Amino acid sequence: MSLTTGASPVRNDVRERRVAKGLSQADLAQRLDVSRQTVNSIETDRYTPSLPLAIAIARFFGTCVEEIFHADHN
Amino acid sequence: MQTTTKTSRKYLATPIFATAMGVVYLVALSIAGDPVYGVFAFVVMVAFSGALLLARRRSETVKGLLDRRDERISSIDLRATAFSALAIIAVLMVAFVVQIARGQSGWPYSMIGFVGGVSYVAAVIYLRIRG
Repeated sequence: MSLTTGASPVRNDVRERRVAKGLSQADLAQRLDVSRQTVNSIETDRYTPSLPLAIAIARFFGTCVEEIFHADHN
Repeated sequence: MQTTTKTSRKYLATPIFATAMGVVYLVALSIAGDPVYGVFAFVVMVAFSGALLLARRRSETVKGLLDRRDERISSIDLRATAFSALAIIAVLMVAFVVQIARGQSGWPYSMIGFVGGVSYVAAVIYLRIRG
């Protein structure tokens, strides 16, 4: 049994969009009602958010999920 | 949708449960004729509850484990629980084998294993039906 989920197969632009808005990880975490650790894990592709959270992130940045999250099809 | 009131109370569930278990230990040990040890067990559980509430203010992880609002920490909790269950199963199997190798019945390990196996199958069936 593996305790870790490994690297996420989905890349994302959350960090770029957050920085562009001038927000800290803590600010974004507060807006999304998650921990700062979770925002950091998403930004570094160590955690793939659930669909509801991905939608919440997309809505926060005023775009759609596919514009932020990019699946690797290698 | 969760209300703020519900969310603000949710984090108290584990400390309240731990304190309630402390009361149960106190009563059980008092019935067994060892109230001093009962009080000690109760104090330990109350201290554990207090430590959880204090740690919640300083640690995002503890906060997430208690209020369950963060999906990633809830997922970590689920995987850690599964890992812990595997450790318990391993100990259970070893203890059972040692007992039967000594010519004993395997009780209570066999019964605990039976309950674990049945509850696992029941959970799989329930979750499979629920989708």
